Amino acid sequence: MAYLIFSLSLLLIYIGLAQMLHVQFGLLGIPNFGVVGFWGLGMYAVGIMQVQLDMSFVDAMVLNALLLAAVSYGLGHLILRLERQAILCATIAFSAIVALLAVTEKWMTMGVVGLGTIRQPFRIFGIEEILFFIFLLILIIGIQFYILKLHKSRLGRLMIATRDNEELAASLGKDTFRVKLIAFTLTSAIMGILGGLSAPLNQFLTPNMIVPSITFAVWISLVLGGKEHALGSMLGVFVTFGLFDILIETYAPVSPEFAVLVPNVKLFLYGALLVGVLVFRPSGLLDQRTPSDAVVGTLGRGVLKGAVAIHQGVTKGVATVQGKIEHRKKGGGT
Amino acid sequence: MWLIRDSIFIGLLEASPLILAAMGFTLIYYLNGFINFAYGESITFGAYFAVLFNVGLGLNFYFAILPAALLAGALSVATYLFIFKPALNRGVQPSEMIILSVGLSFMLRYGLVLFVGAENTYLAEPPVAFFNFAGMGATNLQLIALILVIIFALNLYWLIYKTGYGEVIRGLANNEELAQVSGINPHKVSVRVWFIAGVAGGLSGIFSGVFALANPQMGWNLILITIMVSIVAGVGSVRGALFASIVAGILTSFITLISKPLYAEVVLLMAFILILWRRGGRIA
Repeated sequence: MAYLIFSLSLLLIYIGLAQMLHVQFGLLGIPNFGVVGFWGLGMYAVGIMQVQLDMSFVDAMVLNALLLAAVSYGLGHLILRLERQAILCATIAFSAIVALLAVTEKWMTMGVVGLGTIRQPFRIFGIEEILFFIFLLILIIGIQFYILKLHKSRLGRLMIATRDNEELAASLGKDTFRVKLIAFTLTSAIMGILGGLSAPLNQFLTPNMIVPSITFAVWISLVLGGKEHALGSMLGVFVTFGLFDILIETYAPVSPEFAVLVPNVKLFLYGALLVGVLVFRPSGLLDQRTPSDAVVGTLGRGVLKGAVAIHQGVTKGVATVQGKIEHRKKGGGT
Repeated sequence: MWLIRDSIFIGLLEASPLILAAMGFTLIYYLNGFINFAYGESITFGAYFAVLFNVGLGLNFYFAILPAALLAGALSVATYLFIFKPALNRGVQPSEMIILSVGLSFMLRYGLVLFVGAENTYLAEPPVAFFNFAGMGATNLQLIALILVIIFALNLYWLIYKTGYGEVIRGLANNEELAQVSGINPHKVSVRVWFIAGVAGGLSGIFSGVFALANPQMGWNLILITIMVSIVAGVGSVRGALFASIVAGILTSFITLISKPLYAEVVLLMAFILILWRRGGRIA
């Protein structure tokens, strides 16, 4: 039971990361391949502030959010003007730097020995994990509502315009760089906050937690679920992390000699799924249009076509009748 | 003074896998215009093919190099024909091609793990001999690797810049329609380029395997620095990749000598972000 709550809390963290990546890549077209860098930096920052500096959880989270916002703002200033492949390389380099510093700065992070123990924020004996899970659940649902609203807002449309044709959006007087910078700063800082929230979840931090596979797990979830759809990130995480990590790894009846293979099979299938989706259905499981949009669109097109057909038919009919009248008039004249 | 001399010497010896990988990677990037993370698996599979021939079939190490490199080339062609070419034909955007290549890379890497396990594997190397050059030591294997790398690099350089075939490759990379109009078969040329790149990656893997060991993560560990070096060198510039990887090797060994090896990586990564920023958008 305790393990299930831990897994579900981790699932929520992954959903949060995928949601942020959805805003960055799905809406704005910023290919952030350094997700684990922001997450890991936040996690270690909170861990260090709690264990080495003995700060309270709330203070640590606030300071962590400010730190992450400053780092993301600085990095965004450096890279967001670059073309997409360059942004991708720069962010992946950033996450590699974070992972290396977690190993080298032993005076702060305790290096490969590991940093611990990080206390639970809710100190009510027995139900602290459940309370933390509920807190995460409310947070993620809140973010999801905001993203659903964002899709319908002016800002959301501006983001999509920036993604699809930045020159055009800029020529209409929109400060696209500022939009990208602010959105990147905020979403990356939230990735760091989610990292900070993972610190009490994991309790004990080691540098080998900051591995690129986390970045790719989030990416695979997003691309699989549908990168441009508001609910795609959530669906993707349920299919990847929920299905493989929680259901299969924890509950499937696997014999011990195969159990060691399961993580490798999982990563193999992640890769295969990603290739399959990109080759056969590039937009992911959920299209960027919601089902209702699609229905409305089809109906709308149907009505429009019908109207055009009727209009054409009427014009033709009128013309024919007119022609006949003319003809008759002429015929009557001669 | 000894510091500079030592770092140049060690850097050259250590850089040989990187030189090969960067040159091969650059070829693919130049031709198809996307960052191919799955190139890392050419490196890993090269090393494992060498293990197969060397340890599995008991072949002499030097004789195992050639078939292993050719198989790595074949693997690279297979990834192009079955995954990347269909995707390119469907008009998948460069940033999505990269995600595709990451997915393929995961698939190949963990498919390999399922077959051979995640443990380190060692090559059955020929007896090691040490040579001394004015106080600096090198093993016979390191020297052979360096010589082979120099031969391969010079050949590739000659192929790209001095032959008609190189002109065909450069023409295709710069303007595909024009190349087709002038009678170049893009399919044939692409297959050959992917083959050459795969062979270079395979050799790179074999030589990293010689220096240390082979494990399924080795290609992934090398690919990031390979991408950085190729981008800093200027994409499409095989000679740039050659020089940049030598510089990166020397710089790494210099920083390693004065501090820790991990700091060398941190410094290189930061320098990379700053170089991208200074260039202001143009990746090439």
